[in-house]
Amino acid sequence: MRLLLVEDEVEIQALLRSGLEEAGYEVDVAGDARQAEQLAMASAHEILIVDLGLPDRDGISLILSLREMGVSAPVLILSARRSVDDRVRGLEQGGDDYLTKPFAMAELLARLRNLLKRNNPGVGEPTRLRVHDLELDLLRREATRGGQTLQLTPQEFVLLEYLCRNAGRMVTRSMILDKVWGMRIQPDTNVVDVHIYRLRGKVDGKGQQPLIRTLRGVGYVLKDR
Amino acid sequence: MSSKTAKPVMHSAAWRISLWATLAFACGTMVVFAFLHRFVSNDIQQRTDAWLAGEVEVLGDVAEHTPKDALYDRVVSEVAELASEEVPNRLRSEGRANDLVFFLQTDTKGAQALWVGTGSGAPYLDAIRRQPFPPDEPQHLRVAGSDVPFRVVAARIDDGSVIYLGLSERDELRVLRNLRLRFITWWLLLVMLGFVIVFYTTRRMLSHVRDITEAASRIGHSDLNKRVPTSARNDEVAHLARTLNRMLDRIENSMHQLHTITDALAHDLRSPLTAIRGKLEMSLSAATHGEQAEPIVAVIDELDRLTEFLNTSLDVAEGKADALRLSKSEIDLDELLRGMADLYEPSMSEKNLRVALKSSGPLAMRADAGLVHRMISNLFDNELKHLPAGCSVHMRLEAEQDQARLSVEDDGPGFAPEILPHLFERRVKGRQSSGHGLGLAFVEAVARAHGGSVTASNREEGGARLILTLPRGLAQEPAATKDLAMLPVSASRA
Repeated sequence: MRLLLVEDEVEIQALLRSGLEEAGYEVDVAGDARQAEQLAMASAHEILIVDLGLPDRDGISLILSLREMGVSAPVLILSARRSVDDRVRGLEQGGDDYLTKPFAMAELLARLRNLLKRNNPGVGEPTRLRVHDLELDLLRREATRGGQTLQLTPQEFVLLEYLCRNAGRMVTRSMILDKVWGMRIQPDTNVVDVHIYRLRGKVDGKGQQPLIRTLRGVGYVLKDR
Repeated sequence: MSSKTAKPVMHSAAWRISLWATLAFACGTMVVFAFLHRFVSNDIQQRTDAWLAGEVEVLGDVAEHTPKDALYDRVVSEVAELASEEVPNRLRSEGRANDLVFFLQTDTKGAQALWVGTGSGAPYLDAIRRQPFPPDEPQHLRVAGSDVPFRVVAARIDDGSVIYLGLSERDELRVLRNLRLRFITWWLLLVMLGFVIVFYTTRRMLSHVRDITEAASRIGHSDLNKRVPTSARNDEVAHLARTLNRMLDRIENSMHQLHTITDALAHDLRSPLTAIRGKLEMSLSAATHGEQAEPIVAVIDELDRLTEFLNTSLDVAEGKADALRLSKSEIDLDELLRGMADLYEPSMSEKNLRVALKSSGPLAMRADAGLVHRMISNLFDNELKHLPAGCSVHMRLEAEQDQARLSVEDDGPGFAPEILPHLFERRVKGRQSSGHGLGLAFVEAVARAHGGSVTASNREEGGARLILTLPRGLAQEPAATKDLAMLPVSASRA
């Protein structure tokens, strides 16, 4: 999978590149808008990561001119700015996504996956999710583990569904807050952890193999192996 | 002109100005007329007196030189009648002149000797006797039975008798009455016309001022790109508008400077933070042992807290300067609050705290979704961190006409009295607090940026009370930022 990374800070560029390559992306790197345009014309990319603060041009105007040039791949916007520009919101409406610095690598990868999935819906949405002996019926909103029905609140079901969809991949607290509660907040209390503990108490019963793992300081992962 | 506060016209400045101007005009013209009236009436009286003096002289001559025989009465009466034909100020339409003029001659004893006039001479004689009559000085005379006074002049003849010639003031009074009537009519018309003209011109002029006021009041917090309307004319109002706009230019410029500084600061700190975090993550994935991972994880936590502190700190700084940038969209505060309560409920019950949420139903408002989310989450964080176990929190959300009111009450220890007055300042926190002391300052900054307010107090029954009011802002701000800022609140649930 070919990816175009437009980022001017050399250090972040290197970090992202190694993280992305580790995740299996083939990465082209551009340090400014001019180079980015050349690379975008030279070969087709399936996804773009664009930093807003480029030395020669504003990131958004780069995205808009790339769109005019016929580049239709989804864009993940990186921003070190505090306020979210209205134009960024516009792009977000148009199917792109944005992430503020600093971010967790896991979150960046998850958002890339989401963007790619959004662009290639692929085969129809599954109605059942299965991880090990954990099974989720998305239509009836029911979860069973080893044949035993789990007593989940609707909110817990949504949380478990999100973890299952990302089984084997790490999700951060802010990703959970964003996707499950629809809030981009940074609480300085452990609200998400408490939800996970509760869910874990219901999903990982006594004598069962624990599925929900905490990666301290980073996030959570639902084991798929 | 779509004035939202449609005050009755009587309370407008235009009304007051035109009322006073009209009053001054009316009084002025009235005084001028009073002088004019006096002048005219004096003039008429002088002419009357001149006629009387002339006629009485003629009559006196005739009376003196006519022999007192049988023809005397006739001769004198003829002359008197003749004189009455030439009455001054006489109205043409009036046919009979007889009742306008009388002639009376008294003998030496003062009894009536000759009477020429309408009716009996007795009441006239009575009236004449009642007041002194120096010769050749016309006097006013009120006669019983006649409603208009006479102007009378007396002349003494050598034979000792006195003749009196009287002229009714009826025509004079009528002339003056006509004058007054016409004046009053014209005066009323002019005063009314003047009032209308003054009222409309001042209203037009003041409507420019009102437009400026309305435009200025629409230029809200941190929304400084609008300007008040200016006109091409070069009067005081246009000058006011231009001065206001220049002031706004300067404010916008300083605001822009502030934004540049805070943005640069944020940007310059975030980029290295991103690099540090990335490196930490890499070493975390390389660390195999728990002991190695532990400190890295702690540093990442600290780093995230530092980032959040940086964000909030800059937001609060901008908020204090009324420079917080908002990107508004329509949100449902009720739904948001329920979602937030749902998010915090497990943590609360873990600490044995209860949360009760009362709401009057969906509450749509226009606000910056991201900031309001963080603000509400700060309120919850605040309760979660400071309340001792076993307490409960009551939240009540009410929709008032054009504002939303959220009260948060708890039965905990309340705010320490020494920090209560400084609660919304930066870095103020209770002694046991572990936070960075920006929580409530941030709540205040966001409320302020939206044109709302937040107040804190201790309840009499014990415990703290926070009251947050936010304008709903639904009516105004039509299409300005709508097309881009329609961020759905409940984002897709993956």
